[in-house]
Amino acid sequence: MRPSPCSPAKAGVQFRPIDWALTLAGAWRSLLLLFCLGLVSAPVHADTVISPKADSVSLTIYRQPGRAQGAIDPNWPRGYALVTETRTVNLPKGESTIRFEGVAEGLMPETAVLSGMPRGVREKNRDARLLSPAGLVDAYLKRSVTLQRTNRKTGKVVRQDAVISAGPMGGVILRTGEGYEALGCSGLPERMLYPRAPADLSARPTLSVIASADRPARATLQLTYLAEGFDWAANYVADMKPDGRTLDLMAWLTVANGGVTGFPDARLSVIAGQPNKRGRAPQPRPTGGPLHLQCWPMDITSTHPVWALFPVQMPERVEEMSGLEDVIVTAQRRNVVPAPAMMAPPPPPPPPPPPPPEDVGDLKLYRVPMAVNVSASGQKQVALLRQGGVKVERLYAATAGYGIEEPRPMTLRLRLQNRKSDGLGLPMPSGRVAVFEDVDGLRLLAGEADIGDKAEGERVDYDIAQSPDVRIVETRLSQTRTVRNWAIRLTNARPFDVTAEVTIPHAIDPRPTDMERRGDAWIWRVTIPANGAVDYGYAERLAR
Amino acid sequence: MIAARLLPFLLTALPLAAMAQDAADPTGATAQGDVAVTIYNDGQSLVQDDRQLPVNAGRNRIEFPDVSARIRPETVNLSGPGLAIVEQNFDFDLLSPDKLMDKAVGQEVTLVRTNPATGTETRERAKVLAANGGIVLQIGSRIEVLRDDGLPVRVVFDRVPPNLRARPTLSVTVDAARGGTVPARLSYLTPNLGWTADYVALFDAAKGAMDMQGWVTLTNNTGTTFTNAKTILVAGNPASGGGRRNWWQSLSGAIDQAGTESGPRERLGDFYLYPLAQRTTIANAQQKQVSFLDVKGAPARSTYEYVNGWLASSTEPMSASSVLKFSTSKQGGLGDQLPAGTIRVYMRDARGDPQFIGENGIDHTPMGSSMALRTGQAFDVKVRPTVEQRTRKSGSRWETKMRYTLSNARPEPVTIDLAQQGLWGDTRVTAQSLEGRRTSADRMEWSVPVPANGTVDLTVTFDTRY
Repeated sequence: MRPSPCSPAKAGVQFRPIDWALTLAGAWRSLLLLFCLGLVSAPVHADTVISPKADSVSLTIYRQPGRAQGAIDPNWPRGYALVTETRTVNLPKGESTIRFEGVAEGLMPETAVLSGMPRGVREKNRDARLLSPAGLVDAYLKRSVTLQRTNRKTGKVVRQDAVISAGPMGGVILRTGEGYEALGCSGLPERMLYPRAPADLSARPTLSVIASADRPARATLQLTYLAEGFDWAANYVADMKPDGRTLDLMAWLTVANGGVTGFPDARLSVIAGQPNKRGRAPQPRPTGGPLHLQCWPMDITSTHPVWALFPVQMPERVEEMSGLEDVIVTAQRRNVVPAPAMMAPPPPPPPPPPPPPEDVGDLKLYRVPMAVNVSASGQKQVALLRQGGVKVERLYAATAGYGIEEPRPMTLRLRLQNRKSDGLGLPMPSGRVAVFEDVDGLRLLAGEADIGDKAEGERVDYDIAQSPDVRIVETRLSQTRTVRNWAIRLTNARPFDVTAEVTIPHAIDPRPTDMERRGDAWIWRVTIPANGAVDYGYAERLAR
Repeated sequence: MIAARLLPFLLTALPLAAMAQDAADPTGATAQGDVAVTIYNDGQSLVQDDRQLPVNAGRNRIEFPDVSARIRPETVNLSGPGLAIVEQNFDFDLLSPDKLMDKAVGQEVTLVRTNPATGTETRERAKVLAANGGIVLQIGSRIEVLRDDGLPVRVVFDRVPPNLRARPTLSVTVDAARGGTVPARLSYLTPNLGWTADYVALFDAAKGAMDMQGWVTLTNNTGTTFTNAKTILVAGNPASGGGRRNWWQSLSGAIDQAGTESGPRERLGDFYLYPLAQRTTIANAQQKQVSFLDVKGAPARSTYEYVNGWLASSTEPMSASSVLKFSTSKQGGLGDQLPAGTIRVYMRDARGDPQFIGENGIDHTPMGSSMALRTGQAFDVKVRPTVEQRTRKSGSRWETKMRYTLSNARPEPVTIDLAQQGLWGDTRVTAQSLEGRRTSADRMEWSVPVPANGTVDLTVTFDTRY
């Protein structure tokens, strides 16, 4: 037999109005009644402590798994974030429930870790019973509400007591003193009034823990969790120097928060690399939602069932205004058409280069050196790296072996070697690069390319454009059972020598000695003279 | 207790007391008794509900509100002294305005009309003739369609049909040997209540150790709250029809070598039991986590792995997998068996804050197993496989020279476990720059040390058919 929860003395001790989230008029009597009406489904022996917000927060943003390049999903960023919040709560003696409010919208409750509780945590809960029109009907099923009707003509208001007999699925049936009626089916303005909001329905899915303390204590808690709805991208801007052999490279770090929770004064960092992330197990679906009132068939003689119920008003999503940021931090709203980040001209006084990343396991952690505001539904850009005077090699690339006997353009490829002696030598997270060239003082876009994660020591190729002036044509000259003879001709219509690199995925016979082997193909590297051509003929050994 | 429950109800809802008596429990408290829930991994649960049933001698129809809305009615079992079951019904014909009108065909209802000009109300009785697309009514001697003129009309029903309910309800007809209050146990299976394990591993590479916490994650989607329930979790996958599960449906590849140690935990057949220490309330739409494992300072190390397919090559270096190796053994390990779930691995950054470095799933893992958890792709440790040469030796024999370029951009030396797969049975290795292990007919492995900020080439010559 469970202890009776309704002895007044007991209830009085157990509920402290200060902790009562939804008490609008904190009358003692109504609290008691509310308690005894069973509106409290949290364990009856526990005090409820609300932790409304975090004292300080740090965010580490991870990329969408599998999205090495490409843009952030503007509707709901598909990456995730590790959020570490410091919160202070006053724990009462004994067992208590601590509810955490103001956490990230996409919180994954199975990842939440709480430290700092004096005696540990008994259990963690995420409740998804939401306060909503349907949720209210569900909570008040078989309980009494007030039915209010307004006379359209006279404005007279009639209130009567009613018990909800059925709902919220398929409509609401009320029992009044007269009999049974369906809500919203009479054509009269009528609505239900509830005495108060049930305490176990929350505005959004809520994380809470049950913990105990030996004596009342003020505890500083660290709440760590992963949350969906964040993402980041690296956007590189490469400015070719007039000499054509070096470029200035800088990168913007674009961070997006798609949730409704903003994080003011957050310590922000991002992780580059590819940590493994599994798909999530299905979570409890939030209950509640809009109330769909349905009635019996409403066709009439002049029948066209245009008669409709009054529409259920969906709350409109209100976007707050964006705040101004520091000079090198540019903020941008998500609902504005996002201009490509690399189009943003660099700020007039160039900020110092951001600190190099640190290693966390096999990943790279980039810290934003100052506290920033990560606003709700917002996107922000911070400098990620800045490197001047990077050596660059310009070459034209093509892959042979397609047998296309027509001159086709070769690809303009800018090649960087990610090493210190070439002015680089730092980890480069994957992202899109936009290459600009100065032509008579005009900054023009030369092309864009996507690159993957490049560690120190790797080759970085930017394939930025097709060149109509440098072309390749390959011809099949003859073929026997064992050998196929090819001729490749590279032509150059430009007034200077260019370097070409052709990938030949054939077994060249005899085996060449001066070519590089890359993957399962040969790399033929040659200089095409200005306004000239180069020929190469070889025999392909057939696998027969 | 009943009086105590009724007291506030009488205070607040006195005018309604008479009419709300048909409600299951007007205080909104649960009708469940002493509940015990056994939850299996595959999302299925066994609910046992001990209730005190007031019965009369002879035949009784007993309704059980507050059972799972997803109950499997064929598994319901009610037992109590002197109770013999006549029939069981699970009714999910739900009460709605549409159904209410449909069942009122042929019966009388009250119409309340409001004059739009004056606001005065008039009442009359009407008989519902049909409810097909619109409601046809007989009022006295005239026939009309409800709200044909679009004016407001309230329809008041005298009663609700007995078979329609607000919630899916289980009802059992029993034969009782004698009247009185009988202790009865209701048990049934329900889907949508399951659990999985979530682990938090904090790895310290410098110490070669990790701390691991295990949490049981319960998910209740049954539409019902189980109040103050005694909860037992069963780790293992009972067959749910169709015989045993196929091995490829569940393997995560995290177990290197299955353990052979037995733990002190309670068992049920081949399954492990995890009883929760305290009774708990599993609310509807709730995800609940309870701690079950907390190990500090278990040995762990990180390694790298790269698996190459047959004749696979790449022009760009490919990231090796970061692998966390640890043991579940009592000696030098976690010292527990691990239920299937997800291990999330964290490491501390330079400031000492934990950062997430990847996660992966594990299967039900016996104690004493060697584990290799692939947490992600290494940024700085890469492998570039190259097919150097393919030469035909004789009719069907080919010689394949492979070169694997292993690079390490980290400031310390690492060892990469490189595996070449797809060797089939009769592949011979005729030359290799480093001695490897033939782990199976299909697979060969090399442990290649790579110096700090350095590159190493491994060359291997295979003699294969075709």
